[in-house]
Amino acid sequence: MSDPLEIRIDAERCMGSGNCVFWAPDTFDLSEDGHSVVTDPLATDEERLRIAAQGCPVGAITLWRAGAEVPLEEGS
Amino acid sequence: MTEVKSATDPAVVPFDPFELKDVVGGNIRDPYPRLHELCRESPVHTGPIDMGEGADEPDPSRPPPVTVFGFEEVVQVLRDNETYSSGVYTDVMGMVMGRTILEMDEPEHRMNRALVAPSFRSKVLERWEEDLVALVVNELVDSFVDSGRADLVREITFNFPVQVIARILGLPRSDYPKFQRWALEITSVAANFERGMAASAALGDYFVDVMAERRSTPGDDLISDLVRAEVDGERLSDEEIYSFLRLLLPAGVETTYRASGSLLFALLHDRTQFDALFGDRALFAQAFEEVVRWEPPVTVILRRAARDAELAGVKIEQGADIALMIGAANRDERKYKDPDRFDMFRDQRQHVGFGFGVHVCLGMHLARMESRVALNTLFDRLGPFTLDPQAEAPHIEGMAFRSPLSLPVVFGAGG
Ligand code: HEM
Ligand code: SF4
Repeated sequence: MSDPLEIRIDAERCMGSGNCVFWAPDTFDLSEDGHSVVTDPLATDEERLRIAAQGCPVGAITLWRAGAEVPLEEGS
Repeated sequence: MTEVKSATDPAVVPFDPFELKDVVGGNIRDPYPRLHELCRESPVHTGPIDMGEGADEPDPSRPPPVTVFGFEEVVQVLRDNETYSSGVYTDVMGMVMGRTILEMDEPEHRMNRALVAPSFRSKVLERWEEDLVALVVNELVDSFVDSGRADLVREITFNFPVQVIARILGLPRSDYPKFQRWALEITSVAANFERGMAASAALGDYFVDVMAERRSTPGDDLISDLVRAEVDGERLSDEEIYSFLRLLLPAGVETTYRASGSLLFALLHDRTQFDALFGDRALFAQAFEEVVRWEPPVTVILRRAARDAELAGVKIEQGADIALMIGAANRDERKYKDPDRFDMFRDQRQHVGFGFGVHVCLGMHLARMESRVALNTLFDRLGPFTLDPQAEAPHIEGMAFRSPLSLPVVFGAGG
């Protein structure tokens, strides 16, 4: 297996929709001030992490592996 | 024709709210073939669109309107809220609702949304799940469960979202009928403007009293939350709270009613998926997302170009109104395999049924939660139900808003 995914959240962009928490509740949570935080990056399988990142309405979530950004799109 | 009473009519109770149900939305059964055709021609069109009944006359005094059909193009517009303003809603909704987050641009929008958003987080909503939503749905089921048959639109989907909102606002039970009536009249303002405006005024007056009470004795309800809400020293004025509460009716009631009806429709027409969900309730999340993709209750949302722009090679003039065809984007053949099929197991789950960008639906967690509780309650209390073979086959219809208008089912002894 390759390296684990790293999850980055752009706190400036995040508008607290909670959509990432909906798709991956074991990995994301909303802080008191309504911003997404990563609680456990390994608790969700990669497919679902991708769905969560894609679903972010303001594109605040990016996924990285070994220092390189992983594309979110992958066929249907 | 049924007689339409005005919103201020003292004799609002009793009435059959269902009488008003079909005044919005139009009755187009399947707009999708035409939408596919238009999207294939070009994901972005300028000028009036012919949906099959002839195009509107162009208005030479205004920049040509733009219509967006493609998924990526819709996302691009919704992400670029500087170029594409929500101010367009001021003309359409502002008169009825007052100024709300729906029509605000940044940074005003961000500040105001932050004041109301905490009440709509999924964790905060949990407190309402058992004692409130489940209670509402169980009561509705009580009224027909012994008969073995029911129209689930009339008995359930049409009623639970408005009752849930009424309870979340902490309104007294005896006020539900008039509240539901105002909700419908405001929601159907496009069909009857004067009636909608009258209902909006009546609801405003009603909230004045409710607010005064909550200010003196706050409780565990949404209005009390809004009264207390404060971010960076900013608070909501009474007028802002009334406007927001008015917005919740079309935004939160009509949509959830339609989405839950379309979900039941889809399941009743696909026994394999019905059984899969009946057997594994954890699949609800993806089933609901799929129905909001497949039959989005709101099929079109609006923006206005704040400056000249270009989208998919098409020029957009400053001031042009832009219709984002959510229904078409959610079935974009370039993004989804077999887009016209309801398939809760599909891989591609992303959709724009709740909008996208900074105005993404504020109530999506509430919509998901209450629809989940409603469906689970139906499953648990009715057992597996099927379409009533003796009743007329239901269908989904509407243009701007779509859903089935009836869902006759049989269950238990009736099945
Ligand atoms: C399945 C049900 C629902 C659907 C499909 C839906 C759809 C949408 C869409 C498409 C938008 C974006 C409008 C735009 O950008 O122009 C929106 C915004 C909004 N929705 Fe929902 N909605 C649903 C349920 C709810 C519920 C239950 C509530 C609240 C009780 C709600 C409250 C709102 C509000 C307040 C906005 C404005 C957000 C903003 O402008 O920042 N919605 N909804
Ligand atoms: S989906 Fe995006 S905007 Fe919404 S909470 Fe998560 S990171 Fe923030």
